[in-house]
Amino acid sequence: MNLSPDPWVWLAALLTLCIYSFLYKDNPFYKAAEHLFVGLSAGYFLVIYWYNAVYPDMVVPLFKQGKLLCIIPGLLGLFFFFRFIPKVGWVSRWSIAFYIGVGAGMSIPATMQMRILEQMKGTMQPFFSLETWHVFVENPSLASFGALIGIPLMIVGVMCTLSYFFFSREHKGVLGGMSRIGIIFLMIGFGASFGYTVMARISLLIGRVQFLMSDWLGVID
Amino acid sequence: MRRQLPLAICFVMGVSMVVQFFIPHRVSQEFYRTILDWYRIVFAFSLVLGTGTLIKVHWAKISKKSKGWQYSIITIGGLVFMLAVGFITGIQEGTLFMKIFEYVEVPLEATMFSLLAFYIASAAYRAFRARTVEATLLLIAAVVLMLGRIPFGYYLWHKIPGIAEWILTNPNMAAKRGIVIGVGLGMISTALKIILGIERSYIGGGK
Amino acid sequence: MGQEWFSLDRLNVLIGVVVYTALLLYFIYQAKKGKELFVRKIAGLEAVDEAIGRATEMGKPILYIPGLSTISDVATLASLNILSKVAKKAAQYETRLIVPCTDPIVMPVCQEVVKAACLDGGRPDVYREEDIYYITYSQFGYVAAVDGIMVREKPATNFFLGMFWAESLILAETGASTGAIQIAGTDAISQLPFFITACDYTLIGEELYAASAYLSREPLSLGSLKGQDWTKLIIGGLVLTGVILSTFGLRFFANYFTTG
Repeated sequence: MNLSPDPWVWLAALLTLCIYSFLYKDNPFYKAAEHLFVGLSAGYFLVIYWYNAVYPDMVVPLFKQGKLLCIIPGLLGLFFFFRFIPKVGWVSRWSIAFYIGVGAGMSIPATMQMRILEQMKGTMQPFFSLETWHVFVENPSLASFGALIGIPLMIVGVMCTLSYFFFSREHKGVLGGMSRIGIIFLMIGFGASFGYTVMARISLLIGRVQFLMSDWLGVID
Repeated sequence: MRRQLPLAICFVMGVSMVVQFFIPHRVSQEFYRTILDWYRIVFAFSLVLGTGTLIKVHWAKISKKSKGWQYSIITIGGLVFMLAVGFITGIQEGTLFMKIFEYVEVPLEATMFSLLAFYIASAAYRAFRARTVEATLLLIAAVVLMLGRIPFGYYLWHKIPGIAEWILTNPNMAAKRGIVIGVGLGMISTALKIILGIERSYIGGGK
Repeated sequence: MGQEWFSLDRLNVLIGVVVYTALLLYFIYQAKKGKELFVRKIAGLEAVDEAIGRATEMGKPILYIPGLSTISDVATLASLNILSKVAKKAAQYETRLIVPCTDPIVMPVCQEVVKAACLDGGRPDVYREEDIYYITYSQFGYVAAVDGIMVREKPATNFFLGMFWAESLILAETGASTGAIQIAGTDAISQLPFFITACDYTLIGEELYAASAYLSREPLSLGSLKGQDWTKLIIGGLVLTGVILSTFGLRFFANYFTTG
């Protein structure tokens, strides 16, 4: 055992244990760590945004370079503080509207591009490929069969999944059948996502255990 | 002023950003960059507002001596301390501000994040107990993918990694594409309704 | 830096936006004229009333998490539309609603939404601004605090609606451990499996965006839902055309969908 002499490492290790204690139940150690976390991080972001946004992008251009346009974000920002005065609190809606308008406007074409057109193009694959058929006939195996049916299955899957999201019709008849198949694809997809993530999550825990065992306790190298 | 002006601002900014997307001219790009800069500045001001409410909530707890008020002192103390340190020492490498970030905030973030390893186990257990066809499908796909990503899966049956890969690139891709397209349509529809003032709950007053 | 006034390689995006907008406006117009519109049952949304009622019966609060994204994320806006409906019901039942926020701009919007909903519900007196507050912009700092709220305040009902990242499972599992009824909804595909395993009801992807129309039954919103469905039909047709042409080695059609 080779305990760390660094008080910062001790602090980090003790806070780590405080958070883990929540797994047993809520307790004063967790509460203290949680409240400290909230206070410090809230302060951290205020300081960081002052140094990285307000000072270089507003204070310097406005007061040192005379760029008057920078008054606009300053005013929009100041409008938020009107919320502290109930009678004129509605002024903050102007800043909120600016934010929402920009966000909504930016999302429309970007969504059409990335979430719709690109996905449509990705789905427009040959339903049947002679190449994969020949591979399968010459060498029938699980892999070549998988390659043969993979793309058609994907195309059918996209159509059926999309039909699950039909809202203005009762899911009966053909639509009902398609959406049932869509649910099967959805569940397999969710399972795949779940399974894919497990190892990544376990490695996070390994990282913290390594910190405790190596950096703090010095039990392992 | 209370209702029409916010709606007008939202409409003008929304339409401007849509139009801007299609214009590669430098004026348009400059406009885009300026808006993004403004965005960050306005956000910074809102952080002050937010932090104000945080202080208000905890101050109320302390002054009323509500249950657990002592912990609120830690929150306000931590906040004030971080602000003081940040504005006195700056944010360069090696300052006390960055030390606190590195040895207090980062470990706390990482530890909270790592709780997922425990929770994912309990979620898997929950999925195991479910007795529906859908849950079984989810479970089978999850197990195959889990096994496909570790050497044990290969030793169990050497084709498992291939099957896992096939699930990822075919049925999983199909589900993802279907969801993404649907979500895309929902997003555009919601954004449009907001720009056009059909959805306006954000300015209060409901209808 | 460009000198052109129109990006030709984004022409297909423009066509897509114009066609879709036209379809939506057409169906909204139809709805405005009073045409009857049907919406299929969505289990997660059918359960909203029951979930609020349960909290009222138990005399416990409702916890509403509007996601962890910014106000410019459309998922957050969709969530706020749902918050409006939940807050109205909660106000009518006189049930406490707690809305902790991680984004400082989402917070005042939530306050506006809930305040307006209480007014709409005829109970402006039950609005409690102190229950809608900012915690911290730190992702896991926020999660630590919300976990604390869940185990200490023991809400009877938890809503997780909006954009979520890795924290989704921590929130949902902690909520499940307190015995709360949980309704989740997100368009974050990688987080959906976790909500599905740990929550009672989950709105999948587009269902989150349909929720507002579903809960309010307002003709204008229902009209847009119909427009979305028609666009899905068109998309299905175009994809099938692309698939058939590609099968015969003709990729030109699929290439029209390449964007710059």
